[in-house]
Amino acid sequence: MTRMVTVNLKINGKQYSEEAEPRLLLVHFIRDALKLKGTHIGCDTGHCGACTILWDGKPVKSCQILAVQAEGANIMTVEGLEPEDGKLSIEQESFRENFAQQCGYCTPGFLMMTRYLIRNNEEMTREEIREKLHGNYCMCTGYQQIVDAVQDAQRKYFATKK
Amino acid sequence: MYPKSFEYLRAKSVDQALQYLKDNEGSRVIAGGQSLLPMLKSRLYQPTVLVDINFIPELREVKLGSNGDLRIGAMVTHYDVIENSTIRENAPILSSTAENIADVQIRNRGTIGGSICEADPSADYLPTLMALDARVVLKTTESSREVKVEDFIQGPFETLAEDGEMLVEVIVPPSKANYRVEKYARRKADFAIASVAAIVSLSKDGKVVDARIATGAQQDKPHRLREIESALKGKASKSVNLEAIIGPATEELEPLDDLHGGPEYRKHVLRGMLSRMLGDLLSGKEA
Repeated sequence: MTRMVTVNLKINGKQYSEEAEPRLLLVHFIRDALKLKGTHIGCDTGHCGACTILWDGKPVKSCQILAVQAEGANIMTVEGLEPEDGKLSIEQESFRENFAQQCGYCTPGFLMMTRYLIRNNEEMTREEIREKLHGNYCMCTGYQQIVDAVQDAQRKYFATKK
Repeated sequence: MYPKSFEYLRAKSVDQALQYLKDNEGSRVIAGGQSLLPMLKSRLYQPTVLVDINFIPELREVKLGSNGDLRIGAMVTHYDVIENSTIRENAPILSSTAENIADVQIRNRGTIGGSICEADPSADYLPTLMALDARVVLKTTESSREVKVEDFIQGPFETLAEDGEMLVEVIVPPSKANYRVEKYARRKADFAIASVAAIVSLSKDGKVVDARIATGAQQDKPHRLREIESALKGKASKSVNLEAIIGPATEELEPLDDLHGGPEYRKHVLRGMLSRMLGDLLSGKEA
């Protein structure tokens, strides 16, 4: 049996401290040890992006990182999107209004990516959005409504800045 | 998918990492992990000890050496290579190369040192670093040596790094000359079917002063196309017959054969890319 390692990290503003086997992937740690089931496991090979989380504000794939590497990390998962007042976040609201679910499995990853993209880019064209979403393409095709939702979310976000 | 069990050692300094590597037979460094983790999951690699170098701040630095060379820490991410103004000013071809790597998430986590050490024949950085005459700094607890990237890469997933040795820095001589870097893949995030990095300087009267061209995704490792380089050097750029040079110079290539493309297809793509990219560079079109 390999030595267990204690991992201290912050997720959605809350401090966690849990033991992890070194080979445990961060996505399993978040889902199974910390019981935050919103982050999905899709392909498990680093392609589909369903497991996308924000690490220090930047999107990464949590199936491509070991849990023990997240020591001291500041992470945001899809559970962290919802504001405390019970309303939906800009990203969630835009996905809902634009029917941007497709089968829904990839949605948590797309929401986290959207969170990052609308805050860290000037106004994006549809082509730019498609290019930036590359790391979230799952099993479907199309993604039309998802592109709509990202554009919509960015408009809504910019409106809050005015 | 889980990797096989291993011990995990978190290094806080380069010296500590090197000591861990020396003390533990069968140990392996984990950098950004974006290529290593899939290999661990598929159990292609089964290290007994993994030395994590993500917690070493000095490996994330970008500096300009006293001689003007760029010194890029092994743990500088692809995102940083794109965003860092020192890199973009001194080696814009490197920043452009990083823009084509995988996707946003991978670029936030993957590192230049990790990518070089993986030595994938289709890796995005390698042709560019070869065209730049870049070197890597390899350290052990006792020694430090510099090796040209071109020599460091030995073959598919094989480098000159020995047990206990770690890549700590990439040294890039500055190059502000006109360049082109492209990869051809069926989908953007895929590994290249053919990739080309080319740097060409023209004199005021249109002579080719310098030409450095490298290709990837063709053979077992990326390499320079020296026959084309020497055929171009000293020539008046307007009088060059590219087709007459590219054809024979790529005749001997025996490209890879895998599900992404057969040898003839890869060679065909490469020739098309070379003809278009070098044509642009010879006509002096800025990137």
